[in-house]
Amino acid sequence: MTKISEMPAVARDFISNLDLTVTINPSWTKAVPAYERRVSIVSTAAVSRRGDKPFSWLAKDSRTFHKTDRDLVMTHVAVEFDRSAWQQDLNTIIPLDRLEEMAAEGEIDSVAEEHYSFMGAADPVTMEKSARAVAANMKQEGVNTVFLIPI
Amino acid sequence: MCGLAHYFESEGLSTVLVGFVREHIEAIRPPRSLFLDFPMGRGMGKPNDPWFQKKVIRAAFELLNTNNGPVIDDFPETIPVREGRMGYALPPELVLSIDDIGDVNVVLAEVKSEMETLRPDYDAAVAARKRTTVGASGLSVEDLAPFVGGFLGGEIPPTPRKGMPAIPLLKLVVEDLEAYYTETRTHRDSIDDLELMGKWFWEESKAGRLLLLLEAVSVASDNKVMLQIVEMSLMAPRFWSEGPLPGTSAAGW
Repeated sequence: MTKISEMPAVARDFISNLDLTVTINPSWTKAVPAYERRVSIVSTAAVSRRGDKPFSWLAKDSRTFHKTDRDLVMTHVAVEFDRSAWQQDLNTIIPLDRLEEMAAEGEIDSVAEEHYSFMGAADPVTMEKSARAVAANMKQEGVNTVFLIPI
Repeated sequence: MCGLAHYFESEGLSTVLVGFVREHIEAIRPPRSLFLDFPMGRGMGKPNDPWFQKKVIRAAFELLNTNNGPVIDDFPETIPVREGRMGYALPPELVLSIDDIGDVNVVLAEVKSEMETLRPDYDAAVAARKRTTVGASGLSVEDLAPFVGGFLGGEIPPTPRKGMPAIPLLKLVVEDLEAYYTETRTHRDSIDDLELMGKWFWEESKAGRLLLLLEAVSVASDNKVMLQIVEMSLMAPRFWSEGPLPGTSAAGW
């Protein structure tokens, strides 16, 4: 396992100094059975549909993309993560095809129509309003399960 | 990401996340988490490997069957990283200065020639994948390097994109340029190796050299945002280096 203490100097100092304050009491929502799961992906890769407004460097807002969208671009401010993987295969970071296959195989009920992206470099505390708006949209289309994937 | 889980869960939505830094997961304690010992940027592990990707998803979704939390599980397979680096890092000693710029037109002509040579393979990659990630900047492929070249004189050029200032646009142009190269090479040579791609682009290509010259200009710049880009390792991949770029503190965050 890659421990923070074993990371190179610049990354170690940055990551170990991040503010990890959680400003909300932990909640627990009991999951529905697998065959009832309608899944929406939330990515912090700052991806959006080509032509959408790029994310600002510390964006608090989100972007929405449809489950059939494949023409996505990334406007994440950071460069410390590998981008060559998603360039080769979107499913490496946003596994829409895999979820569709799992729905077809009956492992889950369905894949949501809409999926969401945030700027992972921003403080999650600043994203609360946007996250709750996203949650409202999800509930409106019957989503009950959120798959959170960082970049 | 871990913090977002709490918001969704409090709205009555069940969440499960994957994450790369176990200490952060342990500190923030989202309801259900699968720790991945993978390089960052590879949440489902391996491109073009549906079997492996589904294995990750199934391991994560298994956590939805737990009745109490928070729960953290470890994905049983590792994708090794090199020396604690979760992404490619430039060698600390590979630093250019503004004295290395010389004739900007020569620099740009070399990049142009290199990009034209790659073009058939880039087009083949796009055709095969039916998508490209190049284009976040909104500039054409042909305009990417010349826009970067406009900064090498030490002045901030005008932005060609309405509503986006030149420096944020520069960030996207740099990433488009790198994507043009790596999309091409990963497809042409059927390789998936982030270290090799980083080394090839940043240490061996003419476009990489152009961007290291841009980095030199940024370090010497009076513009606070240009300096911030290098202080925060937002342009050249030095986040995983064993020390900050000379002339910077790496403390911009």
